[in-house]
Amino acid sequence: MMSRRVPSRGFAAGLAIVLAAAVVAATTGFLGVMPASSQAQVVQVRAAPSVPRDDPFAAFWNNVQPVDVALSAQNITRPMGGGTVAAVQLRAAHDGKRLYILSEWSDATQDAAIDTTTSFTDAAAVEFPAAGTTRIPSFCMGDPGAGVNIWHWKAAWQRDVDSGFATNRARYANMQVDLYPQDGDTTFQTGLAAGNPLSAQKHGSPVENLVAAQFGTLTNADVQDVGGVGRWKDGRWRVLFVRSLAGAEGSPSFAPGGKTNAAFAVWNGSDGQRDGIKSVSQFVDLQISGEKIVRKPSSFAPAIIAFAGIVGGLAVIAVFGVFAERRKRV
Amino acid sequence: MPDVYNWQLGRPMTYRFREAHPKWQFAAVFNINRCIACQTCTMACKSTWTFSEGQEHMWWNNVETKPYGGYPHHWDVNTLKLLDKADPGGQKWDGRTATPAAPYGQFTGKTIFEAAAALGKTDEAIGYLPTDDEWTAPNIFEDTPRNRRESELQATSLPEHRTWFFYLQRICNHCTYPACLAACPRNAIYKRPEDGIVLIDEQRCRGYRKCVEQCPYKKPMFRSTTRVSEKCIACYPRIEGTDPISEGEPMETRCMSACVGKIRLQGLIEVGADGRWAVNPDNPLYYMVREEQVALPLYPQFGTEPNIYYIPPRWVPRPYLHQMFGPGADAAIERYAAPSRRLQAVLQLFRTTQRIVHRFEVVNGHKIGEMNVAGKTMELFNDTVVGFDRNGKEIVRQSVMEPLHDRGPKYLNTI
Ligand code: SF4
Ligand code: SF4
Ligand code: SF4
Repeated sequence: MMSRRVPSRGFAAGLAIVLAAAVVAATTGFLGVMPASSQAQVVQVRAAPSVPRDDPFAAFWNNVQPVDVALSAQNITRPMGGGTVAAVQLRAAHDGKRLYILSEWSDATQDAAIDTTTSFTDAAAVEFPAAGTTRIPSFCMGDPGAGVNIWHWKAAWQRDVDSGFATNRARYANMQVDLYPQDGDTTFQTGLAAGNPLSAQKHGSPVENLVAAQFGTLTNADVQDVGGVGRWKDGRWRVLFVRSLAGAEGSPSFAPGGKTNAAFAVWNGSDGQRDGIKSVSQFVDLQISGEKIVRKPSSFAPAIIAFAGIVGGLAVIAVFGVFAERRKRV
Repeated sequence: MPDVYNWQLGRPMTYRFREAHPKWQFAAVFNINRCIACQTCTMACKSTWTFSEGQEHMWWNNVETKPYGGYPHHWDVNTLKLLDKADPGGQKWDGRTATPAAPYGQFTGKTIFEAAAALGKTDEAIGYLPTDDEWTAPNIFEDTPRNRRESELQATSLPEHRTWFFYLQRICNHCTYPACLAACPRNAIYKRPEDGIVLIDEQRCRGYRKCVEQCPYKKPMFRSTTRVSEKCIACYPRIEGTDPISEGEPMETRCMSACVGKIRLQGLIEVGADGRWAVNPDNPLYYMVREEQVALPLYPQFGTEPNIYYIPPRWVPRPYLHQMFGPGADAAIERYAAPSRRLQAVLQLFRTTQRIVHRFEVVNGHKIGEMNVAGKTMELFNDTVVGFDRNGKEIVRQSVMEPLHDRGPKYLNTI
């Protein structure tokens, strides 16, 4: 039967990860880049009675204090690269039932097509320690003793959800083909026939739920229960990840009063970024609290009051004027 | 990174994984001299494996006109340029050191793996992603010769034509040290231990296209309808004998068995535990590649140890052939132009059966003539080559002289 040649695993690999992490820590320190450290950075997840699920640019998020988390290039395993996005701006909330994480970063181009050999999609991810881990996993895709759960949003999947699955036919509308024999038989859409989730033409969500326990082990999770939406406006992506606080069996669960680690990554498709070629953070703390999000007074309020005052004043003057005029006539 | 032994380079080289060899290795010999560029092979593959939506640009088998043609365009020149950048002027062979373990001498330049390190790349190998434009017009520059201007034309004469082109038939080389496999960060590409066939796991591939980028032969291809990569699968059901018409016996692939020009012979090479080919001069592929050294690997300097071997075209200027097939090209042409009795017989095996010939025997026949080749007299004998399958069963018998059938006056002008 078929078998794979894989790199030797176990102790050597674990050691390599630890060493590599040490090297990266030393290098980033040397370069003066302060990676997000779990001691230093906390993202507060406060409560709100309801959180808008469809619009990452909703005014609701103005009430949430953003936290900037530094990103750097992935330099530990091949393929290396990224580092083109310096930081993600994070906001988070919960409504007692669901966890909402909003990741925002700048990107001049929207890359949502995977329709040619050279086109790659923009993407963003959040990573948590996997359910049942007794120690903090390596933030680099976990390690054999402690895995990670990854929520991966793809601009291409967002486009699939919004306007349907697109292939190179959309780009080359005039492509002429006499016939596709056995068209409609998915046997010949090989990835699809093999059950590859990347080949699926319909997605319930633009966010893929994944697990990993070392480089190269990323695998689609059994339960796909992470929702979300990503929108691009004026050179910024905002991607909202949504999942129930209590995860499905095998997924990490969150609860008010609890704390978890979370790391973040983004990919710029037009830079050829995919896989390990990404801008990535280290773990920060997600502090899930029972505290409520305080609505900031609307920034329009003073203007409205002033406007109302002026209009009111003018009205009084006008009424006064009319009466004065009438009196003259009498 | 471990060192592995690459016999085609006559030296160890660095590779991502340590040596681990299959029991048998899928391999073939393509006789460039005979190809008529009919593209039957190309269509045999297309109509079997790549006829569906999203595969419009995919030609797992393609035949291109050298020196200008290429699919994707200029795939080889692009890679040679990258190598030259990594090792300016250093891509050389030391042909004096030829031994059985290093039949072409030693390559002293850099492989695609070593070049990546030399350029400070963090990839396993140098490479690039061809654009959509480069995947179009798969037969670009068809039949376009070098030196085709009128002022350059001369009467053609061997050993080297001044105005020349030739056809290069290409499939995945099912390399011993595949760059595609090394490049895949997910280990979604594997080399089968039973036959050395290199496959992409269509379930695990995530469409990162590192294989497309780093295969120097540009044989993995990306498919937009499934968003993952695909490549030549060496028609593995036929190699396994699981294709219904193979009746359980290993059978040559579609592109091989369809070859109209009878240029292709494909089989399986037995590989020893140490990774060296088990000595077997009675296997037709072993005999042509290792004994006669009449068939050579394509761009061996890339370092992947490709397993499709070519009998180089006789009429092509030698420097071009040295670049493409290494320093063995001169000797290969010499042996092909005036073949030994045994080689002459083995050359008759091409396209006589779809079954894989594991062993051959030659039964001597009578002398049928003499020829003058490059000032030397060559005798021609009507020997008979007999091919046997892996169970020792005779599957083919073919004499050097094609049998002549006289239809007689009664059947003149009839069909
Ligand atoms: S020719 Fe390319 S695709 Fe085929 S095995 Fe070699 S490196 Fe891989
Ligand atoms: S071996 Fe099979 S899959 Fe590969 S090119 Fe030939 S016909 Fe196509
Ligand atoms: S079928 Fe044979 S002769 Fe025809 S193009 Fe292919 S390799 Fe050449």
